[in-house]
Amino acid sequence: MNDLITLKGVTRVYEVGTEKIHALAGVDLTIRPNEYISTMGPSGSGKSTLMNIIGCLDTPTSGTYEFEGEPVHKMDDNQLASIRNRKIGFVFQTFNLLPKLTALRNVELPLIYANVPRDERLEQAERALRRVGLIDRMNHKPNELSGGQRQRVAIARALVTNPSVILADEPTGNLDSKSGEDIMRLFDDLHEAGNTIILVTHEEYIAKHAQRTLHILDGKINEDTLNG
Amino acid sequence: MFRLFIGNVRIATEAIVANKARTLLTTLGIIIGILAVTLMGTLISGLDRSFERSMSFLGRDVLFISKHEWFGNQEWWEVRNRPDIKLDYAGKLMEYSKYVRAVAPVVRRRLEVVRKGKSVSDVMVVGTTPEYTLTSTINVENGRFITRGEERSGSRVVVIGYDVAQALFEGEDPLDKKVKMGPYSFRVIGVIEKQGKFLGLFSMDDQVIIPLGSFMRLFSRRGWMQLNVKVDSDHVSEARDEVRGIMRRLRGLHPQEKDNFAINQQDAFRKQYGMIKLAIGGTGIFITILSLVVGGIGIMNIMFVSVKERTREIGVRKAIGATRAVILQQFLLEAVFICLIGGLTGLLLAYGGSLLIDKYVFPSTMPVWLAVVSMGLSMLVGIISGLAPSFKAARLDPIEALRYE
Ligand SMILES: Nc1ncnc2c1ncn2[C@@H]1O[C@H](COP(=O)(O)OP(=O)(O)O)[C@@H](O)[C@H]1O
Ligand SMILES: [Mg+2]
Repeated sequence: MNDLITLKGVTRVYEVGTEKIHALAGVDLTIRPNEYISTMGPSGSGKSTLMNIIGCLDTPTSGTYEFEGEPVHKMDDNQLASIRNRKIGFVFQTFNLLPKLTALRNVELPLIYANVPRDERLEQAERALRRVGLIDRMNHKPNELSGGQRQRVAIARALVTNPSVILADEPTGNLDSKSGEDIMRLFDDLHEAGNTIILVTHEEYIAKHAQRTLHILDGKINEDTLNG
Repeated sequence: MFRLFIGNVRIATEAIVANKARTLLTTLGIIIGILAVTLMGTLISGLDRSFERSMSFLGRDVLFISKHEWFGNQEWWEVRNRPDIKLDYAGKLMEYSKYVRAVAPVVRRRLEVVRKGKSVSDVMVVGTTPEYTLTSTINVENGRFITRGEERSGSRVVVIGYDVAQALFEGEDPLDKKVKMGPYSFRVIGVIEKQGKFLGLFSMDDQVIIPLGSFMRLFSRRGWMQLNVKVDSDHVSEARDEVRGIMRRLRGLHPQEKDNFAINQQDAFRKQYGMIKLAIGGTGIFITILSLVVGGIGIMNIMFVSVKERTREIGVRKAIGATRAVILQQFLLEAVFICLIGGLTGLLLAYGGSLLIDKYVFPSTMPVWLAVVSMGLSMLVGIISGLAPSFKAARLDPIEALRYE
């Protein structure tokens, strides 16, 4: 099968004053479609930086990154925006929903930037909300939803464009364990349905949901294991 | 692209609605600016119209020869010491000139006109000849004008202005009735059609016209006479030069001597009016530019605030695929809408103002092109003042924006 994501020698160096921080210090990684991957590592080890680069929110300082065979490291801002829009679904620890919009309109948002006609947008957004079990809350605003529900809306938003990969940076970090477990079951379902999922977590039991776990240390993949 | 635009229109509108009070405050400068430019434009266009109407009283092809310049800067004594304009110049001008078509000598004086206990004071009594109908735009609507015979013999007949007729003969037919000026009785032979006010100030309808001979005999031998000279309308400036030459000859002036008479024309008013217009226009434009600049800076500030407040939102939008251009458009639209709201408010206020001016000051309507231009101007201010904040929003780094608290 063709590789979905290929990173070779990827580094990301932040310059703070005169100091250079090697957030990523040479990462080689290959991810195939429909993999379910968890990423673990101590705080500050570079997990978020890696996710941001995979999610095309950031670009490597050096090294190459190919997404479905396309060289992301050579792309300009508009091309990156287009990949983020069509190919990647991002789920954040803090949900990052727009507070003034209803669940439905939050989920609809990526489709606006994909230039999808309104009727189709609403249909797809409703389908995504149904998928995460929140169709009955579609007209609620984020502050009228619980944390777990907000994260579901965020997942629906990530799903709505049918992306090639769903990235989730500590998606359960702001949730109680019960809601966290619900969210993980949703990810399991999505994986079952054929989605590729990469998530970051601190919790061993959450990481266990994935088939493969990357252990990051000091900006490098220290360990890459398959879960039994 | 259009769908994206519609999406951005919606976002921008919602942002404005969410901050109504703030938006209204920041539009104040734009409101004032647009109010100033549209009101000024309306004023000038109204002035233009009434000015042109007034100028038609004077006639483009009529020269007014008198002792003093209409808008001259001579010393009063210099003018006073000039020789009087004499009646016989009229015939001489007709005789010597190629371009002169008619000459009406005119003498004036303000008097009270009385009839049966009713009176009108301060009426402009004009003494002139039948030629007056050629050099002016008056139209006798009832009765007739003075005849040559009446003029020669100094008959006590009078043609009265519309307002005088209204005041003295309310509902009656004035013809053949008597009015008194001073101790003398005059028979009304005609009523002049309503003419309106000259430059919105001097009513042309509170005058009465009597034969020149009667005026001279009864009221004054030596008032300041003015000659109204109608010339060939295709050769007005040649005629003016020629008339000046003839006048200098009549006065026996040497080539190095200055004119001791004045030839006035519509132009004198036009020049004066042009200056007034420039003053009004200049003031209006100054106020407009000042308030638009101040307003624009205010809107730029508020847009910077808006961008800052919505940093996270911008991060989210970028993370899910909004390009720089889309974000730029979103914030530019917001700035433009704010300005359009201000502009529209200003325009509406100005429209109300123009109705008031129309009703109470002088007839005027706001020109449509001015409304269009003022909207364009508001949009321009929106674009200019929104540019820097919008660029700032567009160039935000998505990760940093998402991390912003
Ligand atoms: N914008 C930035 N500027 C400077 N240093 C940064 C920035 N973002 C991350 N870092 C640094 O890079 C390293 C990796 O950060 P991060 O990827 O967020 O770690 P993790 O998500 O594993 O906790 C940390 O040392 C962090 O301080
Ligand atoms: Mg992190």
